[in-house]
Amino acid sequence: MAARAMVDWDALAARARVARRTKAVVLYAFLIAVSLPIILPYFWLVTIAFSAKTGVADTAVLWRSMAVVIPAVVAFWLVAALAQSRRQLWIGFAAVAAIAIVAFALLVGPDLHLGNFIFLWEPDFASVVRSRIGEVKGAVQFPNVWHAFGNSILIAGAQTAIVVTVASLAAYYLSRFQFPGRSSMLRSLLVLHAFPVLTLIVPMFLMLYWIGLLDTLSGVIIVLVAFELPFAIFIMKGFFDAVPWDIEMSALTDGASRRQAFVSVVLPQVRNGILAIAVFTFIRGWEEYIFVFTFLIRNSNWTMSLYMYWVRDDVMGVDYGVVSAVGVFYLVPSLILYMAAQRYLMQMSIGGVKG
Amino acid sequence: MAKIEFRNVVKRFGAVEVIPDMNLVIEDGEFVALLGPSGCGKSTSLFMLAGIYLPSGGELLFDGHVVNEVEARDRNVGIVFQSYALYPHMSVRDNILFPLRFKKTPRDEALARVKAAAELVRVAELLDRRPSELSGGQQQRVALARALVKEPKLLLLDEPLSNLDASLRLSMRTEIKSLHAQLGVTTVLVTHDQIEATTMADRIICMRAGQIEQVGTPDDLYLKPSSLFVAGFIGSPPINLIAGEAEGGTVTVNGVRFPVEGASGAVTVGLRPEHLRFGNTGFAGRIAQIEPMGREILYVVETGMGVVRVLEQGSSAGHSTGEEVRIGFQPENSLVFETARQKLIAGAHVQAPI
Ligand SMILES: Nc1ncnc2c1ncn2[C@@H]1O[C@H](COP(=O)(O)OP(=O)(O)O)[C@@H](O)[C@H]1O
Ligand SMILES: [Mg+2]
Repeated sequence: MAARAMVDWDALAARARVARRTKAVVLYAFLIAVSLPIILPYFWLVTIAFSAKTGVADTAVLWRSMAVVIPAVVAFWLVAALAQSRRQLWIGFAAVAAIAIVAFALLVGPDLHLGNFIFLWEPDFASVVRSRIGEVKGAVQFPNVWHAFGNSILIAGAQTAIVVTVASLAAYYLSRFQFPGRSSMLRSLLVLHAFPVLTLIVPMFLMLYWIGLLDTLSGVIIVLVAFELPFAIFIMKGFFDAVPWDIEMSALTDGASRRQAFVSVVLPQVRNGILAIAVFTFIRGWEEYIFVFTFLIRNSNWTMSLYMYWVRDDVMGVDYGVVSAVGVFYLVPSLILYMAAQRYLMQMSIGGVKG
Repeated sequence: MAKIEFRNVVKRFGAVEVIPDMNLVIEDGEFVALLGPSGCGKSTSLFMLAGIYLPSGGELLFDGHVVNEVEARDRNVGIVFQSYALYPHMSVRDNILFPLRFKKTPRDEALARVKAAAELVRVAELLDRRPSELSGGQQQRVALARALVKEPKLLLLDEPLSNLDASLRLSMRTEIKSLHAQLGVTTVLVTHDQIEATTMADRIICMRAGQIEQVGTPDDLYLKPSSLFVAGFIGSPPINLIAGEAEGGTVTVNGVRFPVEGASGAVTVGLRPEHLRFGNTGFAGRIAQIEPMGREILYVVETGMGVVRVLEQGSSAGHSTGEEVRIGFQPENSLVFETARQKLIAGAHVQAPI
């Protein structure tokens, strides 16, 4: 008993403190190690898009920019690790950001220009770029970039509208009604999503050809909707399952019809789910490449991904700055969408997904 | 206001028959309680009244008209769900306003009625809040206001007090009862808590496994329970049930002999703890445990017939654990049931052994 009473609390506390600190150091070292390779490509893409010049293979500016960004990322995590309060955290972040911006302006600033975004105002930019290095022949006929942009918006937007509508209604029905074959249907929803879509590309091509939708935007939209629906339905079913029956019954006794109850009471409860599948479906349509590459042929039907592909194919060797600029232009809408919807996407798991 | 009638109503879910055959009349303006253990079909009966479930057979009548197939929204029934079922995305005002949206009530009149309903249940100052910002008791009141704002023919309450804490339950009990007295609307309360039923309702319908065991006033159920089930369900602490054999004017239980009138064969004697008294006569036992309940004290007594609970006024204390006691009672307070059929034998009583 006497030995037990002599516990050295200070030593125990010190040991726990060391263990806690070690854990924190390991964690932040890991975060730095994984975040750098993720951040760097995007950072380079943007830097190249705003700095590269036709015919000049200059990598010095990239190294100088890295000299800014790597210390900045490390400093960022150090601040996160060392800050004692929320206030300190924000002050630290602001200080790191300010220093990084100043350093960037000094080291990289003089090289920045907007010339690589020539494709935005010059449809025949390929010829212009080539002529700078004295080469004229062989340029691809590019459509106006805004046309491709519009096509992409149309495909992604229409696909999103259809998927959200159909998935909401189907998932509601699956969540609320018992009917023969309900559970096997649920199971097949997931299995459908497990197939690699590429395996179906030949039959899809033939089907579109026979119904006359090959090389049309609506053909691609139909195919994309078909592939996106199962998963969207599954996600939405999880959200509908989480809505209690009571409030629906309550709406019915309050004088609502089934449809009114659905619209005014049930749908608002699954708003986050609808937003989530809308964002994911839109981005899926926006980045779609394989199907549009296979099913769209005329260049008036090009989407941004095809435009990007042909720019890379045609101009890469001449001016990778323009290629990067197209990449940045292609990236911006997804980025804006993600940032706008981030708050709702974070709540995805709350809606829950269950079978 | 409406008179409600169940005629041979049956409810099945698939192959499961939840309500085999229900017959019941609820008079206009009455306050009745559907009382029974969980899963006995109380909510199912209520939802049939509301029009949420379609009866599988029989007839449901409002004021003499069959309403089996009338849609929920056309029945003008107000219902308070166990979970309150407030619409989480709407303010309290919009929640209470919701039933009026579908009645095409002019906006000014609707808002006036919302205000009146909110004042009736004292939530007028909460109208701009969201349900998630309310306490359980406040949510309950809002649910009541929403049910009452449409001036329903029939008010249905599904376990309205079960999510409240004890003291709030007590005050809501009083409030709901006085609301009923004020409005006179036919009200059906569903509860598994016998105290709620006996304190609030004019009449209690005691249910068991989808069947009505007994219908009567709270006094009827307490004083003349028609079956062992009702006797066991009504009263707290629960009635002592002692099974024995009646022969030649005596019930014998493990050697203890109770003189009996009007019964023979296998019987079960029912003695309520509050009717038992310690004294110099009666059957013998030893106090095993003492449970003070404030003004009263519950004694758990071990006897030759098993454990018997005795409720004594706190003032007559002075007993201690391990004490040998004798327990007596007034014969007219005793109940005698036929063990085989579990039914009360009317007029039969036992006397305490001397
Ligand atoms: N929608 C339903 N589908 C299948 N069974 C149900 C349904 N609703 C209730 N039941 C069953 O009916 C029985 C009675 O339920 P209920 O009326 O909710 O009981 P309670 O008296 O507790 O309110 C229970 O056994 C329950 O499992
Ligand atoms: Mg219930």
